[in-house]
Amino acid sequence: MKVAIFGASGLTGATLVERLIARGDCEVVACIHSSGNAWRLARMGIALTQVDLLDEAAVKDVISTCTHVVNCARGDEATMFTGLKHMLEASRAAKVKQFVHLSSVMVYGDPPVAASVDEAASAEPVEGTYGWIKLKQDEMVEAAARAGLRATVLCPPNISGPYSHYVQTLIGSINGASLAIVDGGGAPCLLADVRNLCHAIELALERGPSDGKRLFVSDGTALTWAQLLAELEPVVAEGALDRLARIGRAELAPLLQQAPPARASLKRSLKHLVSSEVRAAMRLDPMWGKLDGVMRQSVAKMGRGMEDKLRLSIEGTTKVRRKSRYDGLDLRLSGHQLRDTVHSNRRVTDVLGYHPLVTPQESMAAFRRWYRKHQGMDDAFSDLTARLA
Amino acid sequence: MTQRFRLAIIGTGLITQGSHLPAALSSDRVEVAALVDSVADRAASLARSYGISPRIATDVREVLGDIDGALIATPNDSHAPIAIACLEAGVPVLIEKPLASTSAEAERILAAASRTGSVVAAGYSTRFRPSTVLLKELVDREYFGRARRFVHQFGTPGGWAPLSSYNLNRQTAGGGVLVVTATHFIDRMLNLFGMPEGVDFEDDASNGPEANCTAYFHYGPARHGLEGMARYSKTTRLPSGMAIEFDRGIVTLRDSDDAEIVFAPSDGSGYSQVIRTSPAPAAVPDSFLEQIHDFVDACRNGSRPRVSGQEGLMSLQLIERLYAGRKRFSEDWYRDDAASAEGRFANNRIAA
Repeated sequence: MKVAIFGASGLTGATLVERLIARGDCEVVACIHSSGNAWRLARMGIALTQVDLLDEAAVKDVISTCTHVVNCARGDEATMFTGLKHMLEASRAAKVKQFVHLSSVMVYGDPPVAASVDEAASAEPVEGTYGWIKLKQDEMVEAAARAGLRATVLCPPNISGPYSHYVQTLIGSINGASLAIVDGGGAPCLLADVRNLCHAIELALERGPSDGKRLFVSDGTALTWAQLLAELEPVVAEGALDRLARIGRAELAPLLQQAPPARASLKRSLKHLVSSEVRAAMRLDPMWGKLDGVMRQSVAKMGRGMEDKLRLSIEGTTKVRRKSRYDGLDLRLSGHQLRDTVHSNRRVTDVLGYHPLVTPQESMAAFRRWYRKHQGMDDAFSDLTARLA
Repeated sequence: MTQRFRLAIIGTGLITQGSHLPAALSSDRVEVAALVDSVADRAASLARSYGISPRIATDVREVLGDIDGALIATPNDSHAPIAIACLEAGVPVLIEKPLASTSAEAERILAAASRTGSVVAAGYSTRFRPSTVLLKELVDREYFGRARRFVHQFGTPGGWAPLSSYNLNRQTAGGGVLVVTATHFIDRMLNLFGMPEGVDFEDDASNGPEANCTAYFHYGPARHGLEGMARYSKTTRLPSGMAIEFDRGIVTLRDSDDAEIVFAPSDGSGYSQVIRTSPAPAAVPDSFLEQIHDFVDACRNGSRPRVSGQEGLMSLQLIERLYAGRKRFSEDWYRDDAASAEGRFANNRIAA
């Protein structure tokens, strides 16, 4: 088996590379976008293949020599769509034996709909969101599978374990008191330990189905948020958990509703054109500056009352934002506690024979060991390094 | 009026694009006479983007007769041959840190400089920060008493991605994060406290350049038992900066050009003081420009460069001592939890 791993420098990609190399029974082609993020791989002294997913020929070159492909790559919308298109086309052309694509439970919306306990639930994320991009990717993979490519789509929630960006973000938010505890932290926090996820990928490479349909992959059981915070207590600042704000679900949900994007209109455009910000930029040019000066003098001649009236009609009254008890809170991150659907592993167990290797508690213990070591929390200088926090 | 110093910049990668060339162009004492890069198009494109017309060359030997000095900013393992070619022609060199990829190469550079009487300056730009200069003065004067312990940390998840990716290769970079990131601090530490008597070092490398490392420094009786620790990461964000415990309190200094020295006395008051020169400088100088001017002064007036080639060599010697005593830290994060689970899984598969 020769496996091309795209997005090899990310959390899942790098862990998978390490595991496959340790197994010793397959050849790994670790594909990275930039050398800046590839240090975790580079330390192994392995050859890294720098590939721009937008370069169709380069993607084809890599895949043409491989029997299996794993896509863990992320990027902007163009890269996610065009890059995947290149990977799928090259994989079909090379007749790869299995294509494994990483999706996300966000395809079921944010928060995912309650029915997404099961993969068959309707997936209708808001257009333009990350979940929407992942859904469109899933559709591309499924179409490729219908056209003959053996493909598996694995669909994890947030990923935990050593190097987890998500858990580190939570720690930062706890230490900075920007995380709010929703309804006492009683909601489940479904995670996939990176080792469990890689185990599922390896199973998919060996015996994956060919239909390109989504399979949920998680740790199986979920800690509640209160339990998760307790697991993190040994690695967060002393007393940090006690300083977290508390908020109700009913109070938080409306705050997460995004304002609809402004609608274009001629009136809005004209107001923008004569706004002080645009005029300040235009005054940098001598000709526009002169014209602006003439206009301002003309308006000034009309008297203060008229000048105020004109300004108010363009810019409105000066708004002073009231202080709020939500200031300083990371509402988006806190809102993850509204994602309370526990997606079932039943299908991935039936299809791949997947059983989690580590429990959520074991995952958090592994994360803590990694974090304490990398942050130097247990060495003789930790009192001094704490001065830098 | 003195003629402008004709500078060739060798290597037109990210550090030249972002720092050396803008600094040189902002100087009223320097003329960028040549841009040299093995990829001529890259050098020419950079020149066009600034609207300048220096000589473009692929080999420094093509321009040696037309320059007063060379700034070398190429991958670490190419510093020595380029520097020696310059020095043999009597052209002084400012070499981007580290001086070379090994101390043996650095010694060859210094030997060439010694034969021709030319200047070698090591490009440790952070030595030109006002806070670095002030801290050295305060330590030497024992302003806060004697230093007892110190730490320095710097860590980001990834980052700097040189065009040639030389940084991910142990041979071309001369090491991992210790060389790429820590070398600035190693230089400042040597400047502050001198060479430690003993060192310990651990990292996470297996065949490649390390992504994470921790170094411990033991100074012995000459420095009254001063102990230090430095930690670097290319995978993890670390609260960055330096903290020094003195007899009279703790000093912290962040890693930026405009960072200030903050002193927290151990008098139980709970107050902190910002320590500044008086009067405070009006603006934070560009450390890369200061470095170029220091080099020009050394070439023209015979003054000693702020960071001499000899100091560049000392940094490499200490880095090699650290690597020589290297221990690999355990990454058994899951202990036997997952290993036993994988064993159980394998057994289940076999049973099935």
